[in-house]
Amino acid sequence: MSLPVVINLYTLSFALLALIALVAAYEVVTNRLITHAAFFLALVFVAVAGIFLLLGAEFLAVAQVLVYAGAVTVMIIFAIMMSQLNEIRIEECGRPPFTRRLWLRLVSSQWGLLPLLFAVVFALAMFGLYARAVWPARALLVDRVGPATSNIAIVGADLFSTYAIPFEIASVILLVALVGAIVLTAKEGRS
Amino acid sequence: MTAGVSQIPLAYILILGGLLFGLGLYGALLRTNAVRILMSIELMLNAVNINLVAFNQYLSPGYVNGQIFSIFVITVAAAEAAIGLAIILEIVRRRNIVDIDKINLLKW
Repeated sequence: MSLPVVINLYTLSFALLALIALVAAYEVVTNRLITHAAFFLALVFVAVAGIFLLLGAEFLAVAQVLVYAGAVTVMIIFAIMMSQLNEIRIEECGRPPFTRRLWLRLVSSQWGLLPLLFAVVFALAMFGLYARAVWPARALLVDRVGPATSNIAIVGADLFSTYAIPFEIASVILLVALVGAIVLTAKEGRS
Repeated sequence: MTAGVSQIPLAYILILGGLLFGLGLYGALLRTNAVRILMSIELMLNAVNINLVAFNQYLSPGYVNGQIFSIFVITVAAAEAAIGLAIILEIVRRRNIVDIDKINLLKW
């Protein structure tokens, strides 16, 4: 697999969304304030939803915005607000001299270049694996349900026929998670 | 449905997925705040979802198997976030710490 350079509207919008997602993800990992990290996480989710939309997975994009950007982010922010985390406050420690700051930028495991370096090495390793893989031939585009069927219609038809049992199991998992979260966080000794 | 997809080279999307996963892995392994570790895990799950959808659209367009797998990943991720945050809240309530290096009661 090679790395072709293709410039068109799809690629440009993909590059923009990918840049937003990557910068926000870097902030999630390195930002000193955990509330800011949570909001940057919402930005990552929205950018990834845009990429799903670009890839033609409309239902998944909507589900991503609803579940991740809507529910999970709000839940994380709730958890931050309900606990007194010391990362919420910025420690005012003055500005160290420039060289010292540069050094910290480069090597600090908390907010330095290290996460980026790690991610690039990881992505290159993965890309090397992909490049050595044997790719199946691309299947021809099949209209299974009918012409001009929307993505949501196909997803719905598959979800309730082929994947009906996993779907039901997923609902049980959600129920168990709901009950478990309530049991874990409910105050004790209140009969 | 898949008209515009083939305009983007698959390699670009795979690189984005790899970078996002790498950032999330770094955060999950090296940060010590429990809430931030949960957030990093969500990042990794998102990267995996991107890869699933990309492979689906490039290798078997017209089918939605990868997207349905992504939907299940989202479901399990939501459940995991709810349970994880509940556990963290309980730890904070009992011991008033969120640093996982200090939560080592079960270590030995």
